[in-house]
Amino acid sequence: MRSLRLEPRTEGAQGAAVAASVIAVFATLIAGAVLFSLVGRSLSAVLYSFFLQPFASWNGIGEILLKAGPLLLIAQGLAVGYRAQVWNIGAEGQLIVGAIAASVLAIGFDGAASPLLLPAMMLAGGFAGAAWAGIAALLRTRFNANEILTTFMLSSIALQLLYYLVSGPLRDPMGMNFPQSILFGDAALFGPLIAGTRANTSLLIGLAAAIIAWAFMERSIQGFRLVVGGLSPGAARYAGFSEARSVWIGLLVGGACAGLAGVGEVAGPLGMLQRNLSPGYGFAAIMVAFLGGLHPIGIVFAALLMALIYVGGDFALVSAGLPNATVTIFQGLLLIFYLASSILISYRVVIGARSVEVSA
Amino acid sequence: MMLLKRLVLTAGLLAGLATAGPALAQPAKIGFIYPGPVGDTGWAFELDTGRKAVEEKFGDKVTTVVAENIPEGPDAARVMNQMAADGARMIMLGSFGYMNDGLKLARQYPDSAFIHASGYKLADNFGTFLSRNYETSYAAGLAAGYLTRSKVLGIVASYPIPEVIGMINGYTLGAQKTNPDVTVKVVWLNSWFDPNKSQEGARSLVAQNADIIFSLYQDTPEVVALSEELGIYSISTSSDMKAYAPKKYLAGLKVDWRPHFIDQVQKMLDGTFKGEAYWGGYKDGAIELTSLTPDLTPEQRKVVEDAITAMKAGTFHPMTGPITAQDGSVKIAAGETMADADLLAVNWLVKGVETKIPN
Amino acid sequence: MTATLIFILGGMLSAATPMLFAAMGEVVAERAGVLNLSVEGMMATGAATAFMAATLSGSHLVGFLAAGLAAAALSFIFAALVLGFVANQVAAGLAVGILGLGVSALIGKPFEGTTIAPLAKLDLFGLSLLPVIGPIVFGRDVMVYLGVAFVLAIAAVLGRTKLGLIIRAVGEAPGAARDIGYPVLRIRLACILFGGFMAGLGGAYLSIAYTALWAEGLVAGRGWIAVALVVFGTWMPLRIALGAYVFGAISLMELSLQSLGVQVPSQLLSASPYLITIVVLAAISRDATRIRLNRPLALGQAYRNDG
Repeated sequence: MRSLRLEPRTEGAQGAAVAASVIAVFATLIAGAVLFSLVGRSLSAVLYSFFLQPFASWNGIGEILLKAGPLLLIAQGLAVGYRAQVWNIGAEGQLIVGAIAASVLAIGFDGAASPLLLPAMMLAGGFAGAAWAGIAALLRTRFNANEILTTFMLSSIALQLLYYLVSGPLRDPMGMNFPQSILFGDAALFGPLIAGTRANTSLLIGLAAAIIAWAFMERSIQGFRLVVGGLSPGAARYAGFSEARSVWIGLLVGGACAGLAGVGEVAGPLGMLQRNLSPGYGFAAIMVAFLGGLHPIGIVFAALLMALIYVGGDFALVSAGLPNATVTIFQGLLLIFYLASSILISYRVVIGARSVEVSA
Repeated sequence: MMLLKRLVLTAGLLAGLATAGPALAQPAKIGFIYPGPVGDTGWAFELDTGRKAVEEKFGDKVTTVVAENIPEGPDAARVMNQMAADGARMIMLGSFGYMNDGLKLARQYPDSAFIHASGYKLADNFGTFLSRNYETSYAAGLAAGYLTRSKVLGIVASYPIPEVIGMINGYTLGAQKTNPDVTVKVVWLNSWFDPNKSQEGARSLVAQNADIIFSLYQDTPEVVALSEELGIYSISTSSDMKAYAPKKYLAGLKVDWRPHFIDQVQKMLDGTFKGEAYWGGYKDGAIELTSLTPDLTPEQRKVVEDAITAMKAGTFHPMTGPITAQDGSVKIAAGETMADADLLAVNWLVKGVETKIPN
Repeated sequence: MTATLIFILGGMLSAATPMLFAAMGEVVAERAGVLNLSVEGMMATGAATAFMAATLSGSHLVGFLAAGLAAAALSFIFAALVLGFVANQVAAGLAVGILGLGVSALIGKPFEGTTIAPLAKLDLFGLSLLPVIGPIVFGRDVMVYLGVAFVLAIAAVLGRTKLGLIIRAVGEAPGAARDIGYPVLRIRLACILFGGFMAGLGGAYLSIAYTALWAEGLVAGRGWIAVALVVFGTWMPLRIALGAYVFGAISLMELSLQSLGVQVPSQLLSASPYLITIVVLAAISRDATRIRLNRPLALGQAYRNDG
């Protein structure tokens, strides 16, 4: 293996980033094909219901958009931190806290018809999510506590807080003791995006976040700070940017986006606060952020792809009888292949002499 | 968009999956959604037994589609929407938490029929089904009262919803009938399914002297298996679980959805379906006390069987006063029976139950 | 009251064992500088594999070994990503963890909701008949004691042997370790595989000893608690073990308080392990000297031989 080696790239490689994604998708499809034949399903039937059937109806398209919304929004927020090497893995908890804050308003002002209710809920949710992530920022900047660990643990605490609130203070008094809140009034809900589907206007927040993130990254000095702070803390400090500011910005933005995504759920498809608030959006969004190469535009595509896997998985479950575990396996494989092939982004494969060896 | 659609349809044809428009000759598609995996026993298993009975009874007039292990969250709606969009003429929603999404869908598809487990909201094309498990609970309580040595009965329970509270009350009243000093302790798991915690809950009850454990709406048999290992009696919900405790098993509170499902499917096929609140009890053949332990004396056994016979005949109601609540207030006066409407919304435990309803 | 005390103290030994095994594996990997967040998925795969293997072979030993190997195979994928492909450790851990959860559900499907005879309890010389102490400490199954043995062995290896020194060097300063001739990647690979094997054993304990049943979702967050435990125990095996027992006792106390009729929000107790861990983390990280003593400085950082 002396002739094949890797060299670190010195400049960015857009082409390689795209190539990595394409390789990952194809490798996942091949692995998926093997998997489907193992569980005894016809490949064409599964691939049809997984990847094409969702596009055959407005309902399917609406479902993909509905699912992509929170993934897109959260992943954009997380990527801001990730680009600065701030590893927030607690978006799930920030989403929950955001949803709780918005629900408190929706429940407290039940019956209100004011058009200000929904904006107020968004504000409350965004702030609450940011505040929850802010705890981790404080712990990191004041106590030097690793944010990977604190954000994760804050997530578990948020989940218990949710369980407590829906089985007590925020429970629907007429709801037969079942742990869920009242159904929100119309003023507390996002309007439909495509009539007849569940996709709602909260998706626009995610798209706006993508545009803002892109503009910041490409044009503004603040984005430059985070990029610099991420790639080389030394250089960042030399340029006068403090690490603490990167940590605060990375976590607060990530938390606010996750909190807003939580509002999108309770004021969207759920229409109430309940125990099963998120099917792991906070964790799936981490995958989306990486799959999108931590790039605002890449994340848009990654979010849609991930949403397609979820929705296609449910279609395949209903139409082709595919066990729902295969969806989970699919997601894992896709990210694994992406991570493996993204070595192409940071390194160049060189065929020739010289020494550096990639050993395992 | 058109191009994309055509592409998709072509691909569908290639895959040999294209479905023709709904024609009358085609079998009626019926969707079933379960909150947990089907397995060999428990809640989803009994619902699936109902589905199989429907398939057997109606043959090629129906086809069924199953989605198991669908959490009561935002994704459940997609699965049921997909079933409806796929042309399902009837959908069985197997968990309480599917209620609001199911109702929304029922409004969108006024020509499809929906039946929903254990809910309390109805519409013209949206019915509910529930079983009167408080009746079998009462019968099991009679037997438990005879068999307990410690006079402490333990219950591992899911959520404090009215159905569960009614079962705890029925069980306690039955046990007090045959053993007035009995007390009942409850561990709330706030889950339909948490095998580790339910076992730990059972062990904590045993540590507090309970010698009979009632596994109330835990969908897996781990509490029954554990009780066998510890050498104490157990009672299971939904399914008979004697296979998991061949030596010491008090009884199973079995439900049988087959008659109701067949009836509803028949009405759907006839075009006479109308959302109704079905509450099946002994009278309807919807519930049964199975594998009652042989450790009862013939006299004791007769007491249990007589109560069951009376419930079947409708001459005896377990919730007959005087019934006193935990706080000492008399809820049902002597000679009166609890109305169905009150029982469906019961939010108090009877005296003798030591644990409170959380919050 | 005594019975409840025995239940909590004795029960915690068993309740803590799955987390203990997984955390012992994770601490070795983390000491070598690798943060593997796939513990939950590895435990799930171990649990399903153990149940399948033990059911089909009729032997618990086969079940445990199969579980360890299956989870180690998963951890090999993780190792290939972070060592071979220099991938981000957080992302790689999540990816492999999700794969593991999916795999467990798929292979466990035919056994859903079925039970198995639990691992036999040991009763040496009737010691479990001793009052109070007997039922707490004795009469447990062999894995409970094996877990304790692992804790002592790993503490000794990490703290007092050359091997432990090398592992720690690799986790603190991989560049320097390579310069003095240690095969950094191979050592990390071995530590990751060991971590996988141990997570598999922890999962197996759940499905064929503790609960003696397979059902999807059986692990229910214990893998994540194991990750938290490593931090709680400040990367020291003995403290991690202490933490595992405390967390185990808390989870049982929640149930006992309920059945005793004490009104405490159970969610507060469920959240307390995480609250305590955050406080501990803040306290230890604040002190720069103590953190240098314990926390592997290169934890979570990608490393390449040319770096």
